[in-house]
Amino acid sequence: MTTTRMGDTVRVLNRLRAEGVIGPYAIAGAVAAFRHVEATLTEDLDLLVSLQAAGGSGLVSIAPILDRLRELGYAEFRMEGVVIEGWPVQFLPVASALDAEAVEQAEDVEIPTSLEGISEPTRALRAEHVVAKAVELGRSKDFIRIHQYLEENAVDIDALRAVLERHGLKDKWRSFCMRTGVTDPIFR
Amino acid sequence: MTARYPDISDIIARKAAGRRAAARRSFGEEIAAVEALRERVEPLKQAREAARAKAKARR
Repeated sequence: MTTTRMGDTVRVLNRLRAEGVIGPYAIAGAVAAFRHVEATLTEDLDLLVSLQAAGGSGLVSIAPILDRLRELGYAEFRMEGVVIEGWPVQFLPVASALDAEAVEQAEDVEIPTSLEGISEPTRALRAEHVVAKAVELGRSKDFIRIHQYLEENAVDIDALRAVLERHGLKDKWRSFCMRTGVTDPIFR
Repeated sequence: MTARYPDISDIIARKAAGRRAAARRSFGEEIAAVEALRERVEPLKQAREAARAKAKARR
């Protein structure tokens, strides 16, 4: 039977959600990619999180999250993330229409906890949103991830095209193809 | 004289089969595998950090 510590991390996140400390959230980054392509070593768990702006100012703060986590005994920071049950967690506030769509359309998943047979429900980004975020970020490691998705046919090309068009990422996509020598499978 | 090298196609094929098997793992199994990998890599990371600190101190 599979057990993981990440399931325990998710249990804490779901508690924050139930308490209203965070809004809807979804697993992003490398861990979200585990569902679609061969897993690679990662040090942290990235979360896209919907947060309420303070007093209608448009400014969001993760301070209330960190305060509550401190109360729950999670005060250690590693890799710019707060360590929750062994995993440094990075809270990335929803900051664009792409982020909002990615969280809204995220898929339900279950992660085994450290207790045998017990899983914790959560949500993780769809393949097209993981790739679109990688295109948007455009770092070397993001390009490697995009390559993985293309080589393993792990993303629906029509769905990806729609996301890239909807969020103005065509130029960045073309730039990725040009810089990495990939024959553009989308906009040719 | 032409150098002769061994045929390693069977090794490559086994690695590809391993990758295909890994790709069939569930999300939970992938996470468990990465957690195990993190633990195995930790001593190497610590050694790297120590070497960097040593090199920095020497400068």
